[in-house]
This record gives sequence, structure tokens and C-alpha cells, in this order.
Amino acid sequence: MTGLRPLPRRSLQARLALPYAAGIFVAGIVVLAVVTLPLAGIQSTVPVDSSTPATITGTGDGIGPHRLLLGSAVALALLIPIALAAGWLVAGRFLRPLRAITATAKAISAGNLHRRLDLGEPADELTELGYILDDLFARLETSFDAQRHFVANASHELRTPLAGLRTLLEVALADPDADADALRSACQEALALGGHQERLVRALLALATSERGLTRRDTLDLARVATGVLTSRRDQATERSIHLTENLAPAVTAGDPRLIESLIANLIDNAIRHNHPDGQVEITTQTTSTQATLTVTNSGPVIPDNQLQRLFQPFQKLEPDRRGRGDGYGLGLAIVNAVAVAHHATLTTNARPEGGLAITVRFTHRQG
Amino acid sequence: MRVLVVEDFEVLARAIGTGLRREGMAVDVVLDGTDALDRLAVTRYEVMILDRDLPGVHGDEICRRLANDRSDIRVLMLTAADTIEDRVEGLSLGADDYLPKPFAFAELVARVRALARRANPPLPPTLSCGDITLDPARRAAFRAGRRLELSPKEFALLECLLGSPGLVLPAEELLERVWDEAADPFTSAVKHTMHRLRAKLGDPPVIQTIREGGYRIGPQ
Repeated sequence: MTGLRPLPRRSLQARLALPYAAGIFVAGIVVLAVVTLPLAGIQSTVPVDSSTPATITGTGDGIGPHRLLLGSAVALALLIPIALAAGWLVAGRFLRPLRAITATAKAISAGNLHRRLDLGEPADELTELGYILDDLFARLETSFDAQRHFVANASHELRTPLAGLRTLLEVALADPDADADALRSACQEALALGGHQERLVRALLALATSERGLTRRDTLDLARVATGVLTSRRDQATERSIHLTENLAPAVTAGDPRLIESLIANLIDNAIRHNHPDGQVEITTQTTSTQATLTVTNSGPVIPDNQLQRLFQPFQKLEPDRRGRGDGYGLGLAIVNAVAVAHHATLTTNARPEGGLAITVRFTHRQG
Repeated sequence: MRVLVVEDFEVLARAIGTGLRREGMAVDVVLDGTDALDRLAVTRYEVMILDRDLPGVHGDEICRRLANDRSDIRVLMLTAADTIEDRVEGLSLGADDYLPKPFAFAELVARVRALARRANPPLPPTLSCGDITLDPARRAAFRAGRRLELSPKEFALLECLLGSPGLVLPAEELLERVWDEAADPFTSAVKHTMHRLRAKLGDPPVIQTIREGGYRIGPQ
């Protein structure tokens, strides 16, 4: 990493070392005071008792008060560097895990998010910090991976039709004997591919918009939005001989009307698309004491429970269609999920044992 | 030259098939990995154009199996993933070439031809025998400097014979290499096309008919 200012290397260690040194120094003064002052008191009686016979006291010169004070001063002077050195070492020892954290955190970037601090089980404040940071790196790694996966998938979904379009037109134009009919049919295929790209880009934009969060919060009735969506989907359902049942009671909540409409439209499209002929789709809206709920239930193939979570990831389809790409991109339920999260709504999905899905979205009631 | 196109995006797969057929190749198109493996089990292809992200059996898996079987088919990977890592991974799985989407069709054709030349023994870019020369890339054949107006099938037949000069090629093998799966195995298409090719090549005759139903060009 370039352009990173060098950290002030030792400032915290110096700041910690000074109080440690001061503590050691003060402790030294206290010890000397406790030892020296009583001794100085004893010594001070010597001159008064000088009249007593020298045989009793005099085995030699005692330690004079001056020498005692001088000795103490020297000891205290010597204590200063010792205390500073000891304080520096102790502070350095305490700060060692912090250095490890700093060095690793500096080295970790988007490219090597798999690296960890690995300070072991949290035993003190610093190892706990390391533990929390490791956890953060793990979550970042997951989210970066999801992002990378998304970009790779989006690029695949966008490039393949582009390649198809280009090859289709190149091959059609390179044919020296192409007649109007051949060129017309190539143009029609190119138009259909354009429509496919348009729908994909629209779905990607819807996903990006809903992941950005709410920009407006209007009062709306889920039943009315559902009615609007159902009207535009009726033909599609009839075409696939799917029976639509509606059970729409007023369910008032607050949210972004466009996002909610896209949530309901994606749920219904999904229910129609992953169904079998003569299947059922049932849409229910209702109000309970605290929530406005929307439930979409459809018949269809049996879905294993362990596949449910995967369906809400972008570009995940249940089973690869054997006949090329169908009309879905694997974005519908990801959009539903993103809109629900943006509205703080809870999303419950059940795989029905007889086949198909039952998805319920619970919105909290209108807040102020 | 027999080519297998494995690509799950149908419009692209069909367009590649049409374009390559017009270049005189015999092309089969399949839309998923399972069909590709079935096809590889019964037909000898020279080149396979393989999408990586396939339903059924993944393209990587197909590549791995071919590498395990020491197959001599040349694989061109055609995928939307174009980072350096993707290319390195694809090539190390056993692909012979890697072309990211979207691509120019002319480049795809050139790469398929380059792969086909890497036969065993390698073929020169221009084939020749006696006074006949054939340039596959320019789709032109000449006899003694005179340009021959050949149909795609006649051209492919001549290309096949010139690729193995002096060897007897049975009619069944020519049928497999020049015609695609739509051809009836009991057809006399080889015989008829050979007849027209000989007429266009003119005199003296260069293609010999061997008694058990085979053909040969050049000295024995």
C-alpha cells in the first residue's frame, strides 16, 4: 500500500513508559524515605550523646547524615534510567499484540481478505480486539466474495447474448447469397435478443435500486398494488393455463410504491414461471394486529428445503434448464429479498410438500 | 473437418453452426454438457468449441474427462469469463485455446482452423499434391494455377484427401468427417460428390478409387 503515512512509531509506548517509570521512581523514593528517615533520626542523636564513653559507642565512624542523604540522592539518580528502561520494556510488552494487529491490518486489502490476525482465544482486551477484527474480516470476505460472484455472473449473463447478437449479425451479413427473408429473420432474432438484454438490464437496475434502500415512504395498500400487477399478468397466466386466485383484503403499510410493486410483480412472475400447466397461483393480502402481510402460493415442482436459501441469491436458478436459458435470469427472488430488507419486512419461505412455494412478506404497520 | 459446438445459448450456438458450415466444416451443435458427452462417445471430432458454464455437465468437467482419456480432439473454450485467472484455469484444465465472449466470428474461424492444423502429423496452412493446391483459410483450390470452383462439400472432400496424401480413406470415414449428423449413413453422397469433384479437377485424374470402397490421392 503506497501513500500510507508512516505511523508515529513509539508514541504510545513512550506515553505508557513515562507513567510506569514515574511509578517505579515514586516507589523508589517512598522506599528510601521509609528506610532513611528513621535512620537519619537515629544518627541525629549521636552528637547529643557524645559525652558518653567512647568505649560504649565508638567502634568506628557511623554513617553520617550527610553521607546517608548523598547515598540516597545517588540511588535516586541511578533509579531514573532504570525506571525509564523498565517502564519502556513493560509498555513494549503490553503493546506487542497491538503491533501484530496493526501490521496485519495494514497488510490486509481486498485482494487478501482471507488473512487473519489469529491472536487466539480472547484472553484480554487486545486479544479480544483481535478476535473482533478477525470476525469483521470474515464478514467482509463473505461480502466481497458475494460481490465478485455477482459481477462474474452479471458479466456472463450480459456477454453471452452480446456474443450471440454479434455472431448472428456477422454470419448473416457474411453470407453472399443471403436473400431478404434470411436477413429479415436474422433481424427478428437480433430484436428478440435486444429485448432479452433490456429485460436483464431492467432487472439488474431493480436489484441495485432496492439494495440502495428506501428513498421515499408513502402509505399504500398491498391489495391495490397486487390488483394492478395481477391485471397485467392475467394473459400470461392464461397462456400457460395457470389459474390465478386472489384473496385481497386491505393491508395498509408504508413504503416505496415502485419497490413494493416490483416485489409483488417478481413474486407473481416467479409463481407463474415455475409452475406446471393447469397449476395454481394464490395471492393473499391481509392485516393482522401489527402487520400487513402478503402471501403468494404456487403449485409446481417439489423444491428441497436445503435449496430454499440459495434461491434468494442473485443468478441462482433451481436446476439448470436443459434447453438453454429460459426466460428467467435468477434475479426475481433476489429482488424480492432486497426490497423486503429495505422495508424491514420479514420474508418467510416454505417449500410445499406437494410441490411449489409459499412465500409470505410481513410489513410492519404504517409508521408515522 | 468435423466440429462439435457446445453452447447453451441457443441463438449463439445456431449462429456459430451456420457460420462454420458456410466455411465448409461439418458442424454438430448441442446445447448442454450431457448431449456433448453422448456425441463425443460416438463421433470423432477434430475440434470442439466448448462453452464453460453449461447445464448438465459443466464444461470444465468435459475438458477434464477428455484430458483423462488422452483424446486427440482440440478444445477451444468459449466463455464470458475473461480474466487472466479464468484463461489460465481454462487452459490448464486441458483446453487448447481460449476465446472470451463476445468475439469476432472471423477470429473464431481462424482459431478453429489453426487448431485443426495441429493434427498428428501437423498440416501446413496450405495443402498441396502434384499440381493441386488448396488454401483452407482463403477457401480456394487451384490446379496448375487455374482456380477451381468447388462447392463446400467438394472442397471439404478434397481437403480431407490432401490432408492424408497416399493413404486410402474409406468412404465411411469421409462421410463422418465431411458431413454432419444430418447425413444418412447409407447415403451415396460421398460417391456423387466425388464424381463431381473429379469432373471439376479435370484431366489427368488424380483421385484413385480403391476397390473396397476407398479413395486415395497422390502416390502410393
